Amino acid sequence: MMKKLLSILLLFVSYQALAGVDPKLLIRDLNKKFNQVSDYKADLYMEFNLPGVKMKNLKGKVVFKKPNKFKIKAKGIFFLPKQNPMQNMSEMLIDTNSYTSIISGYETVEGKNCAIVNIIPLKAQDELILGKFWIDIKNPLVYKSQITTKNNGTIETKSIYGNQIKYALPEKIIVKLEINRIKVPKMMSVDLNKKSKPKTGIESKETGSIQLNFSNYSINANLSDAEFVD
Amino acid sequence: MKEFIAILKNEIIKTIKRPRSFIGFGIIAFICLMLQSAFYHDGKEILSFVTGQLENVFNVEGKVLNGNLICFIVLQTLIVQMPLLVALVTGDLVSGETANGTIRFLLTRPASRTKIVLAKWIAGLFYTLLLLIVLGFFALFVSHWIFGDGDLMALNSEGLTIISADDIIWRWGYAFLIAFLSLSVVATLANMLSCIMDNSITPIVSVMAIIIVFTIIGMFDLPSFDLIKPFLFTTHMISWKSLFEDPIPFHDIWFSIAVLIIHIVLFISISIFYFNRKDINS
Repeated sequence: MMKKLLSILLLFVSYQALAGVDPKLLIRDLNKKFNQVSDYKADLYMEFNLPGVKMKNLKGKVVFKKPNKFKIKAKGIFFLPKQNPMQNMSEMLIDTNSYTSIISGYETVEGKNCAIVNIIPLKAQDELILGKFWIDIKNPLVYKSQITTKNNGTIETKSIYGNQIKYALPEKIIVKLEINRIKVPKMMSVDLNKKSKPKTGIESKETGSIQLNFSNYSINANLSDAEFVD
Repeated sequence: MKEFIAILKNEIIKTIKRPRSFIGFGIIAFICLMLQSAFYHDGKEILSFVTGQLENVFNVEGKVLNGNLICFIVLQTLIVQMPLLVALVTGDLVSGETANGTIRFLLTRPASRTKIVLAKWIAGLFYTLLLLIVLGFFALFVSHWIFGDGDLMALNSEGLTIISADDIIWRWGYAFLIAFLSLSVVATLANMLSCIMDNSITPIVSVMAIIIVFTIIGMFDLPSFDLIKPFLFTTHMISWKSLFEDPIPFHDIWFSIAVLIIHIVLFISISIFYFNRKDINS
């Protein structure tokens, strides 16, 4: 068993040595970009595609202030993933002493040659189980992530960068998640004129997505705490 | 025409002044206030039956518990019970007078029997309209006053539809119109049975029985029931809910409206036909 583990570790070390990419250096460079931003405000346009939920796209505003104040302001009802992709990414990566990072492979995402950096927390009691980040080797930015937590399952995000690339702030984030289709019992919905769809046996999860489009960023404008009050 | 208006006026006053008419208003007010009070205290728990499925993955942002949602729930709950209240009053408009013997005095007036049946039918529809106005006041206005405005999270068997608060008032308007048409079918059916039967109670009980049986048939997804469901008026009484879907299935709504109107025309025609040939012995 020990021999097997050692050989796997050796394989990883030799693979990374061959590739010549150090995950810690990648994360350090990425954190430098995150650290440039102490607060920001941006316009937001949310597009929802969730199984069993029909809703229109929404306009809103997003505000962030270090260390962890984050708020999306929009009129009406909307859904946001429990794991906030904007906040989680920087929060997860900033404390380099709380995790081990290894590169598990390389992949081209959005035309960028990305290293797949796996983040494994050092403390067993951490909410995070595994974080996978696709980081551009040339200009360290997260283009894709897959975060698995104990309570909220796995969410996958894809980031597209625009004008604010130097601050590592995306123009678009597509969050993909696996959820059970929402079902309202017929007795509760009182749908006498609708026929229930036949059940297929095992209730499989379906993939839903939320697309967050950011524009008109205002960065380091010294936002007041009042922005985060309802 | 003057004579008809005089009879109609008289019938409306008679219908509204009866103690049982106030039972309907009282029950609607009571049910609305009871549901509003329950949602005010335990709304989040009640809603968690539905939103709980989402809350494992999402944070549901915004004010879900609002006046529009309460009105939607109240309307969907009461639309099954309201026909019983309508039948309670409209089911003995003719048969009650036949049983009491007062129909003979009414028939001594120069107006034709058709006009008398139509006057009673319109009086029944007027009462139905009043019931809906009371329902609208409590379900929509009082709920908005207590819970405020907001987007509607409409529940249907296929999931949830979120409708913007800015896009909802017209939907309520049409929903209440369709609800009025649906209840008019019940009022017309009750009026028809009231013309056929001489007993005051039997038409009311018969309408209630028909509604209960049809509703139960509608609840079950059995292939043998699927053939008859489209012809049952109870299937189409809930079509107001389709206005809260996205996209709105206008074709289905128009079909339901057509079915409801056909029922009304059929029932009132039978009423007139039967009442014109009826022997008044009592």
